[in-house]
Amino acid sequence: MAGSSRWASSAADKAEEARRKLEKEEKKKAKLEKQRKLEEAEELRQNEAAAARDTAAGIGSNGDEEASGRPAKRRRLSTDNNATSDEASQRPRKLLRFAAPGWGPCRSVDNYEPLNRIEEGSYGLVSRGRELATGDIVALKKLKMDNLADGFPITALREIQTLRASAGQTHIVALREVVLGTDPINDVYLVMDFLEHDLKTLQEEMSEPFLPSEVKTLLLQLVSAMDFLHERWILHRDLKTSNILMNNRGQLKIADFGMARYVSEPPPKNLTQLVVTLWYRAPELLLGAEQYDDKIDMWSVGCIFGELLKKEPLFMGKNEVDELSKIFTLCGPPTLHSWPTFRRLPNARHIQFPPTPPNLTPTEVKSMTTPSPLPLRTHFPLLTNSGTALLSALLSLDPLTRPSASEVLKHPYFEEIPRPKHTSMFPTFPSKGAMERRRRWSPNAPVRGEAVDFGKEVDGGKVDFAGIFGGNSEAGGAGFALRMG
Amino acid sequence: MAPEPLSILTNPLATVEQLTSSSSQFDGVPADLETSIIHAGARLTQAAGILLQLPQDIIAQAIVLFTRFWIGSEGGSLLEHNASDVSAATIYLVSKLSAYQKSPRSVINTYAYLASLPATFPLPSTYIDAQDASTYHVSEGTYLTSRQTLNANESLVLRILGFQTHVALPHALSITYMQTLSFIPSPSGTALAARTFEHLNAALLSPQLLYLTHPPATLAVAAIYVAAREIGTKLPEGEWWEVFDCEREDLGFLVLAMGSFEGFVREEVQKWGRRGKVPLTAKQVAGEIEKRTMLEEGA
Ligand SMILES: Nc1ncnc2c1ncn2[C@@H]1O[C@H](COP(=O)(O)OP(=O)(O)OP(=O)(O)O)[C@@H](O)[C@H]1O
Ligand SMILES: [Mg+2]
Repeated sequence: MAGSSRWASSAADKAEEARRKLEKEEKKKAKLEKQRKLEEAEELRQNEAAAARDTAAGIGSNGDEEASGRPAKRRRLSTDNNATSDEASQRPRKLLRFAAPGWGPCRSVDNYEPLNRIEEGSYGLVSRGRELATGDIVALKKLKMDNLADGFPITALREIQTLRASAGQTHIVALREVVLGTDPINDVYLVMDFLEHDLKTLQEEMSEPFLPSEVKTLLLQLVSAMDFLHERWILHRDLKTSNILMNNRGQLKIADFGMARYVSEPPPKNLTQLVVTLWYRAPELLLGAEQYDDKIDMWSVGCIFGELLKKEPLFMGKNEVDELSKIFTLCGPPTLHSWPTFRRLPNARHIQFPPTPPNLTPTEVKSMTTPSPLPLRTHFPLLTNSGTALLSALLSLDPLTRPSASEVLKHPYFEEIPRPKHTSMFPTFPSKGAMERRRRWSPNAPVRGEAVDFGKEVDGGKVDFAGIFGGNSEAGGAGFALRMG
Repeated sequence: MAPEPLSILTNPLATVEQLTSSSSQFDGVPADLETSIIHAGARLTQAAGILLQLPQDIIAQAIVLFTRFWIGSEGGSLLEHNASDVSAATIYLVSKLSAYQKSPRSVINTYAYLASLPATFPLPSTYIDAQDASTYHVSEGTYLTSRQTLNANESLVLRILGFQTHVALPHALSITYMQTLSFIPSPSGTALAARTFEHLNAALLSPQLLYLTHPPATLAVAAIYVAAREIGTKLPEGEWWEVFDCEREDLGFLVLAMGSFEGFVREEVQKWGRRGKVPLTAKQVAGEIEKRTMLEEGA
């Protein structure tokens, strides 16, 4: 890189450099070939030794497997001035290729043949491709490279980091490698296993919602992936049906880690509030919470659960205020009972709540602030009692009462009839990912600079949710009219 | 090419090819010079991390990435890339992914300060107590070009490492092991833990690139073993290390390597002197090679 400009100024230099390069390549090749032969011989020796050992010890192939699972390599020191002159300890002992996850330079995107664009939406960033060497069908996602002043975009780094950390989890999309563009070499692509569907597009094409047994299987897979991530302190922060993939064998995998990041306990202070696409955004985020945790993902899981049952998103808000009002309509408004701390959240200041009458006994306060039974039942008439219990738990306004992923996995809903449908019994659908597809509008993941300020968004500076509190909403049915104060 | 799960227990390890060859050597950098430079670059990373007030685990991760960068025929060559720039890029990159993100400006100022020091092996206090470090600023023009260099080197590091930035460290693991062995809590427990950490941190700078060859568990066991023998903590009877998935042969190798580290550093200091500077840019490396050739021819 730096070499070409610094070392080659004249034509003669250039020629000399080319010669050197060729020589280096030759040397490299010869050395690699020698290395390969050595390794083969060593591998053979190892296998024979292992076989002999196993026979002697009277064990089967297990011992063999163990031997090949442990890489042991040492760095040979060319200097003779160190204390480890023990020849035997310097000789590579077990030479085994492919034994441990290693690293190597990025390959070029030219190793893949482009087939078609999968996502024809705002960016057209994801396409289907074929690896030339293997014929494998993959998905290639071109990363957005903005904010380059600070170097490689942190979001892209986190996307790769969190996907790598999730390798091997059955329900998280497999990142095969990161490759570089050739034309602008700075283009970076993620190469992933290709899956036939995403749940958003699939549901748009289906005439009937998934069956209850199918919803159960999908939810179980989704939550097991979330359990894996949260266990490792990773938040996804953009769960929604378009980011959940499914193959033709009913297997679900979470994708799009573009918002994901590692967190800690207590939560980091510099977390951005601009996370999660509006329709799946937890109430604490909508109310401006500066610290949040895994429960924001669990809210999105609740939204997706409801969406799978209805074949339609639960809370299709037009903006933050509208989203909140849709949530409060279905889940009941926050009360001191259901969410003791909500008034401390920044945006709660802009919301008008009915005045608390003075001089009430605690019992009277409690009876006033206990929410009326959720209207969830009427929205999901076919859902069983424990299904309703799980859905309303996931849609708890207070993140503290919302269950964690590991708690959800133990929920009786998954035990009762109908049992989760085996993935091999799932119906297959035509894959839209392999063809042109039409997209319907839905909100995108939030971007920098979009933070909501309720004070600005609403005329009088306050949003009046009093109607929900008093239970005297003039709006009939499921709809709830928002009155501006 | 099934992806491998990465965890706190697993590290990407170098292949034999990577350990037995390097781009630098293909380009004609003598092996002993290469060893000196990688060691000095790792020390530079450490010094910068301390000045930037980064926690030790962040610094350790940067050193491991720095070390990974140079090995193997597909790694970076010391005649093509500046070791000091690669060091800055790894610190910048690792801090970016942590809760302690550092601005390009503070990274650049820190490295400019360290480059201004007269020798590679100053007393550690030179940079730890340095007053002028925090007040050291490059000019605005230098800053702008340095930032481009920093960004370019960050991309370079990512490219050469194939975006493999995962580093699992043995430190926390060693504490768990010492608890399992009932070494802590105990009267000598604190001293033992401190000494174990010293060995683990020294191993980061080892010429044998121990963090690239051995998994965290094995490093942790070896450091405990060495520290316990030095402090006089009684080790359990029998092959206790097997409980931690460590083989006698690996342990033996690591114990020797950790034990020889101080001797290695002493020789490096002797080689370069208290006033000398290990070449940390491609140009300086070329100059050093030229000087050696001339000396040989003259002799
Ligand atoms: N591995 C894959 N296999 C098949 N299709 C995929 C795969 N990854 C992504 N897609 C498709 O591409 C779409 C966009 O991918 P992804 O969400 O990762 O990109 P994005 O740019 O972050 O999108 P958005 O900003 O719209 O959320 C997905 O909704 C899905 O339809
Ligand atoms: Mg997406």
